[in-house]
Amino acid sequence: MSGYVKVWNKADEGRGEAMAKLEMTLERLAEIAGAYGASPKLWPVDERHAAEALVAGSSDARALVAEAGDLDRLLAMAPAVEAPSTELLSRIMAARPRAVTGLIVSREERRAGLWRSIARIVWPYGPAAFPAGALAASIMLGISFGAALPSSVTAEGLTSLGLTSAAVSASASAGTTGEQLVSFALAENEYPEDWKK
Amino acid sequence: MNDASDDELVARVALGDEAACRQLVDRHLMRMLALARRMLGSHADAEEVAQEVFLRVWTHASRWEPGRAQFSTWLHRVATNLCLDRLRRHTTDDIDSIPEPQSEDPTPQEELERQDLARRVDQALQALPARQRAAVTLTHYQGLSNIEAAEILNVSIEAVESLLGRARRQLRVALATERDEWLRKSVEQG
Repeated sequence: MSGYVKVWNKADEGRGEAMAKLEMTLERLAEIAGAYGASPKLWPVDERHAAEALVAGSSDARALVAEAGDLDRLLAMAPAVEAPSTELLSRIMAARPRAVTGLIVSREERRAGLWRSIARIVWPYGPAAFPAGALAASIMLGISFGAALPSSVTAEGLTSLGLTSAAVSASASAGTTGEQLVSFALAENEYPEDWKK
Repeated sequence: MNDASDDELVARVALGDEAACRQLVDRHLMRMLALARRMLGSHADAEEVAQEVFLRVWTHASRWEPGRAQFSTWLHRVATNLCLDRLRRHTTDDIDSIPEPQSEDPTPQEELERQDLARRVDQALQALPARQRAAVTLTHYQGLSNIEAAEILNVSIEAVESLLGRARRQLRVALATERDEWLRKSVEQG
């Protein structure tokens, strides 16, 4: 890259881009055309104008560029590149990134998601509203029973309503509504073989 | 969206925008294919490289930083490196394996000669050392500047000029006969 002298023009310094006027020589032009070919648009941008000026004013310079042009034209005879196959296009498009939804989830949504996943484990047959409703109804029924029991019902009282005598006590000796309910409830737990005794 | 910059398209690609993907492919695939074809001398190999280039675009789209580099220069760099890697692995490739042009129809003599010349030019290119071939491909065939070629090949501008100078000297010797024939025909045709 020898054979030329860079002359900086002070007026160009303020443009923010290095602009240079070059004093081009035949030797340097031979290097440029020998490397980049005959087309000035491929020549180094900071030497282009000087090189073109030399070509315009010198037959020797034009001969150098013409010789480079012969090789350029031969290189242009290289086989044309085939168009991409449809298979290639399909493969590339099939591998493209896909839109991802629901990646950004709020804390509430995450918590709801946790409950939902637990519910799904317990009740994998669809919406969890049905088992949840049944559970709530059971709890309410339990509380109702508890509230209906009289405060006088103690552990002893419950023992006296033993399984074997539950049915009898349910029909004969129950004095209060609460006792009747308890008797009926316990009678349900009596096994058939116990009835034979 | 046709006027969207490469940076804008890449940002949309990262979000999974199919239209942006397609537009990026339409805009750059042919040039990547051409680069790889000139470097490797085989259309099938060039398609593999072009596919790999776009797979990398898809993978890196979310990490692309607009303005840091020119997207097309980055693409050329990826494609060139993939080609150089392949050439390094397959150094024993026989340049005579470049297939003869196939044609089922009777071809006029002039067309046959043109196809033969194309094959010989291709052979001369494939005979160049890999980095010289890359320099010629990037500047002469892809039309990139010496600054862009230097960035892609990760060398100085002076090194690019040196690669190009040596490549063209070798090509001039390899294609001396073809050049003489071509000049003679040009004179005959007036």
